[in-house]
Amino acid sequence: MSIGFTEDHEHLRELVRRFLQARSPSHEVRRLIRDGLGRDDEVWFQMAGQLGLQGIAIPEEYGGSGFGPTELGIVLEEMGRVLLVAPYFSTVALAGQTLTASDDEEARRRWLPGIADGSLTATLAVAEHGGTGARTEIATIAEPAGDGWALTGTKLFVLDGHTADLLLVVARAEDGIGLFGVEGDAAGVVRTELESLDLTRGMAEVVLDAAPAIRVGGDRPSGGWLPRVRDLVLASLAAEQIGGAARCLELAVEYAKVREQFGRPIGSFQAVKHKCAGLLIEIEAGRSAAYHAGFAVAEPGAEGAAAAALAKAYCSEVFTHAAKECIQIHGGIGYTWEHDAHLFLRRAKSSELLFGTPARQRARFADLVEI
Amino acid sequence: MTLQERANPAPAETGEEFRTRLRAFFTDHHPGRAPKDPAERFAWNRRWLATMFDHGYAGPGWPREFGGMELSFAHQVIYQEELARARVPGPLGTGLGIVAPTIIKYGTREQRDRWLGPMLRGDKVWAQGYSEPGAGSDLPSLRTTARRDGDEYVVNGQKVWTTHAGDADLFFTLVRTGTPQSRQKGITYLVVDARARGVQVRPLRDLTGGHAFAEVYFDDVRVPVADRIGEENEGWPLVRTSLGHERAAGAMNQAALYRRVLTELEDLARERGLLADPLVRARFTDLEIQVRIIRYNAQRIISDILAKGEPGAASSVSRLLISAFEQEIHEFALDLLGPAALLGKSAAQSVQRSRWLHGFLRTRASTIGAGTREIQLNTIAEQVLGLPHDPAMPPR
Ligand SMILES: Cc1cc2nc3c(=O)[nH]c(=O)nc-3n(C[C@H](O)[C@H](O)[C@H](O)COP(=O)(O)OP(=O)(O)OC[C@H]3O[C@@H](n4cnc5c(N)ncnc54)[C@H](O)[C@@H]3O)c2cc1C
Repeated sequence: MSIGFTEDHEHLRELVRRFLQARSPSHEVRRLIRDGLGRDDEVWFQMAGQLGLQGIAIPEEYGGSGFGPTELGIVLEEMGRVLLVAPYFSTVALAGQTLTASDDEEARRRWLPGIADGSLTATLAVAEHGGTGARTEIATIAEPAGDGWALTGTKLFVLDGHTADLLLVVARAEDGIGLFGVEGDAAGVVRTELESLDLTRGMAEVVLDAAPAIRVGGDRPSGGWLPRVRDLVLASLAAEQIGGAARCLELAVEYAKVREQFGRPIGSFQAVKHKCAGLLIEIEAGRSAAYHAGFAVAEPGAEGAAAAALAKAYCSEVFTHAAKECIQIHGGIGYTWEHDAHLFLRRAKSSELLFGTPARQRARFADLVEI
Repeated sequence: MTLQERANPAPAETGEEFRTRLRAFFTDHHPGRAPKDPAERFAWNRRWLATMFDHGYAGPGWPREFGGMELSFAHQVIYQEELARARVPGPLGTGLGIVAPTIIKYGTREQRDRWLGPMLRGDKVWAQGYSEPGAGSDLPSLRTTARRDGDEYVVNGQKVWTTHAGDADLFFTLVRTGTPQSRQKGITYLVVDARARGVQVRPLRDLTGGHAFAEVYFDDVRVPVADRIGEENEGWPLVRTSLGHERAAGAMNQAALYRRVLTELEDLARERGLLADPLVRARFTDLEIQVRIIRYNAQRIISDILAKGEPGAASSVSRLLISAFEQEIHEFALDLLGPAALLGKSAAQSVQRSRWLHGFLRTRASTIGAGTREIQLNTIAEQVLGLPHDPAMPPR
C-alpha cells in the first residue's frame, strides 16, 4: 500500500479549498455562529449539487461518486482549515460512511441518495452518559414493535443531533448491539441542543421514549460491519483535525512575520521560530498518520483499526497544541474573542475528547498491536 | 489606640496567637458566598474590603500611616495562609498589588494621602494602562502622548487589554512626554481619572466570552500635573517597583489556593471512580508534585527573605511554575472528564457549572498577561544566568 496522492486528488483539494475560501471565510463562520443556524443553505446545496461533496464517499449506484476515505479525508482536511459551519461531518463522515459500510441494501437505497444530493441531513448517536461510546456503555434499548422497532434511552454528545433529519442510533437489542434509524422529528424523540465548547459544531442530547425505528441490517444482528464504522469515523476526524492544526500554524506564521516588537518581526526571535518549526514537525507527522489512516481504513481489517486509533490519538494532540500556540504567538490579541484562534482551540479540544480521548485511543492501539 | 494597633499583633503575641485572632475575625465577618451576577459580586467584594479596612485587617505589608498593618514578614505569611483558608476574596483591580507599591515609594505625601486609603478600602478601583496595540512586550515603544499645557497635561492615545478598565475609577498609565524615539527615556507616569472628559472605555470581549478587559481611548484628556507620579520623562524605572515582600507572602496564598483546587479535582475523580486507572494516578501524582513544589518554592522565597532580606533565585521561577500548573490542571480536568467536560453552564449535565472548562480557556492568559512566558524566559536567561544580551534588542 502506498501513501501518495494522484493528480486528481490534488485537483480535488484545490477545488474544495477555493470553494471554501470563497464561501466560508471567517466572517461567515462568525455569522453562522451568531445566527445559530448550523449551516448556510445555499452553500450546502452548492456543495452537494455543483461539487458533489456530500456524495464523495457514497457508491455511484446511490447517487454518489464512489470514492472512499482518502478522498473524503481531503475534503475534511480542507473543511477543518476553515472551521466550516455545516452538518457535513455528521451527515457525511458519520452517517454516510455508516450506511455505506452497512450490509443493508434497503437502508442504503432509502437514505444514501438523500445524503448525496444534500436533501437529507443525518448523524450517528453512539455515546451515552459515560461519553466514551464503548459497547459496555450502551444502555439504550431496542424492542420489536409492530413491523419495526421502538427505542428507549438517552444519547448524549450527538453531533448536529438537534437538527439532523435522520438519527442513526446504536442500541441494545435482544440479539446484541445494533444500529437503528430514527427520524429526527418522530414521536417519542426529544432533542435538546447542549451548550458546549465548540461554537462551530453543535451537539445535542437525544431522549428516546419508545421512538419508532427501523433496524439497519434488516432484522439481522449487525455482525461485522458496525465496529468498522468506528475506524472510518476516527480516520475522518484525524483528517479534519490536521487541517485545523495546519491552519493554526499558518495564522501564527503570518502574524509572526508582520507583528513587530523591539523594532523587528517577532518571528525573528528564536523562541517564536522554534515554536513554529516544532509545530510544523508535529503537523507533518500528524499528516502522515492521518493520510495513512485514510488509505488503511479503505479496506476492513486490523491494519486500518490500528492506523485509525493512532491517527486520532496523535492528530488530536497536535491540533490542540497548535491551537494553544497560535494563541500564545498572537499574545494579547490571541486572547480576544474577535480573533479566530479560540474558535480553533474550541474545535480542537472538542474533537480531542469526542469519539475517545487520546489516552483511550492509545490504549486501544496498544491492544490492537499487542503491546 | 488606632484601628491598626488593635488589629496588629502586640509585641508579645506569638504567630499562633495572631493566627487564632485572624481566624476568629475571618469567621465572624465572613462575607458568605459570592453573588453570581458580576455587578453584584463586585459590590459585594467592595463591601468586604471595607469591612477588612474598617477593622484594621487590610494591607498586611503596608505602612500603618496609609491604613496598612505593617506586619513583619513572618506575620504576613500567616495572614496570607489564613486568607486562603477562610476563602475570602482579595483586592479588586490591579491597585493593591502593583499600583500601591509605586505610589508608596515614589508618590508625594499628598498623593499617598489622597489615593492609598480609598484604594485599600475598595472605595476606588484602579486599572493599569500600560500596553498599547503596538506596544506589548516592547513596552518602551508606547505612543500615547502627554503634552504639557500650563499645570495640566493633555493626553492622547490608546491603551489596550486593560484589565478591570470597565470597573475602574482611576487609570495608572504610562505616557510619552519625550520625543517619539525617546523610548524608555521619555516616559512619564500619570494617574488619569476614569471619568475625565475625553476618556472612553470600550469593553473587549475575551476568548472565554467575558469582558474582563477593555480598550481605553484618550482624546485630549486634561490631567493635572499634580497627578503625575515621579518626574517628567522618568517614569520608566517606576515600572519595576513592587512590594516584593508582599508578593512573596502572597505566593503562600496561591500555593494554598492551588492545593485546594487540586483536592477538588481529586474528589471529583474519586466520585466518578476514575482514580484507579494507573494513567490517571500518574497524572495526579505529577500535579501533586508540582503543587507541593510551588509550596516549597514559596517557603524558600520566604525563608530567604527572613534570613537575608532578599528573595533568591527561587522567586524568579515562581510565576512560571504557577502558570504551567494552572494550565495543566485544567487541561487534565478536561481529559479526565471526557466529553462531559465540554458542556457549558446551561447544559443540565455540565460538570460543576463548567468551572474546569472555563478555567481551561481562562488560563490561556497565564502565559501572556503581565509579560509572556517567552519574555520571562529571556529575562531569566539574561538576568539570572547572565547570558549575553540579544544584540538586536535595545539595551536595558
Ligand atoms: C488577560 C490579559 C490581561 C491583561 N491585562 C493588562 C493590563 O491590565 N494592563 C496592561 O497594560 N496590559 C495588560 N495585558 C497585556 C499584556 O501585558 C500583553 O499582552 C503582553 O505583555 C504581551 O504583549 P502583546 O500582547 O503585544 O504580545 P507581543 O509582544 O506582540 O508578543 C507576541 C508573541 O511574540 C513573543 N515575543 C515578543 N517579543 C519577544 C522576544 N523578544 N523574544 C521572544 N519572544 C517574543 C511573545 O512571547 C508572544 O508569544 C493583558 C493581557 C492579557 C492577555
